[in-house]
Amino acid sequence: MDRRRFLQLSTVSILSLTFAPGLLKQSFGASKLDEELQKRLGVSLSQIKESPEVKLQAPTIAESGANVPVSVESDIPVDKVDSVWIFVDNNPVPWITDIKLSPMNGRVYFATRIKMGQTSNVRAILKMKDGSYLMATKEVKVTVGGCG
Amino acid sequence: MAVGAGILRVPKEAKKGEIVKVQMVITHPMEPGTRKDPQTGQIIPAYHLTKLEVLFNDKTVSVVDMGGGVSANPFIGLTLKVDESGIVKIAYEDNKGGKWEKTAEIRVV
Repeated sequence: MDRRRFLQLSTVSILSLTFAPGLLKQSFGASKLDEELQKRLGVSLSQIKESPEVKLQAPTIAESGANVPVSVESDIPVDKVDSVWIFVDNNPVPWITDIKLSPMNGRVYFATRIKMGQTSNVRAILKMKDGSYLMATKEVKVTVGGCG
Repeated sequence: MAVGAGILRVPKEAKKGEIVKVQMVITHPMEPGTRKDPQTGQIIPAYHLTKLEVLFNDKTVSVVDMGGGVSANPFIGLTLKVDESGIVKIAYEDNKGGKWEKTAEIRVV
């Protein structure tokens, strides 16, 4: 092997070693969320559209992942909404909770506190009565994880 | 406080048709079943609330499903449209068969 060929090969291997773990982890995380969405809602992430009508409130930085307050609100009439779902992409179990709404709720509002293992996207998904889905996403940076 | 004890907070009085906040905190460890005991290395078994139902005058308002991803001593807040005086009831259960109830009254003025 001449010197030039050796250098080329080593560059390629170093690059692949540097980037491969990140790539693997990313695709694994996405598929886990997708799996959970398929199991719980029967749709994949690409079929759910982001909507400014869903308002998700969560801290930008959470000091403790054990207790992260989130709330979901919307001005969409409550009789058009079936349920509200909360997912966290990078948690061991991405599904956190869901709440079924009724006209007796008066409006779309749901607040709770969740656990987060690490920095991740938090997603609030509204399941509409017509079978469509609306979503709001927010990244929450976690300093100390709360999933053991 | 003992596991399963709850605090249910609603306004005492509301106008007819007003949308009020119903807030609750329930004492529960919410063990997800994925955590390991740092001393023994054993997985701590799952122990968390699974379902919480909110009723107003015995009619279901909302049903909350949850897993171990909800924080310990879960807080839940939602809204209720008050058309008449009545009793708000929350009924909740965990994955080990524990069942509890808690009520509060709202009066229309």
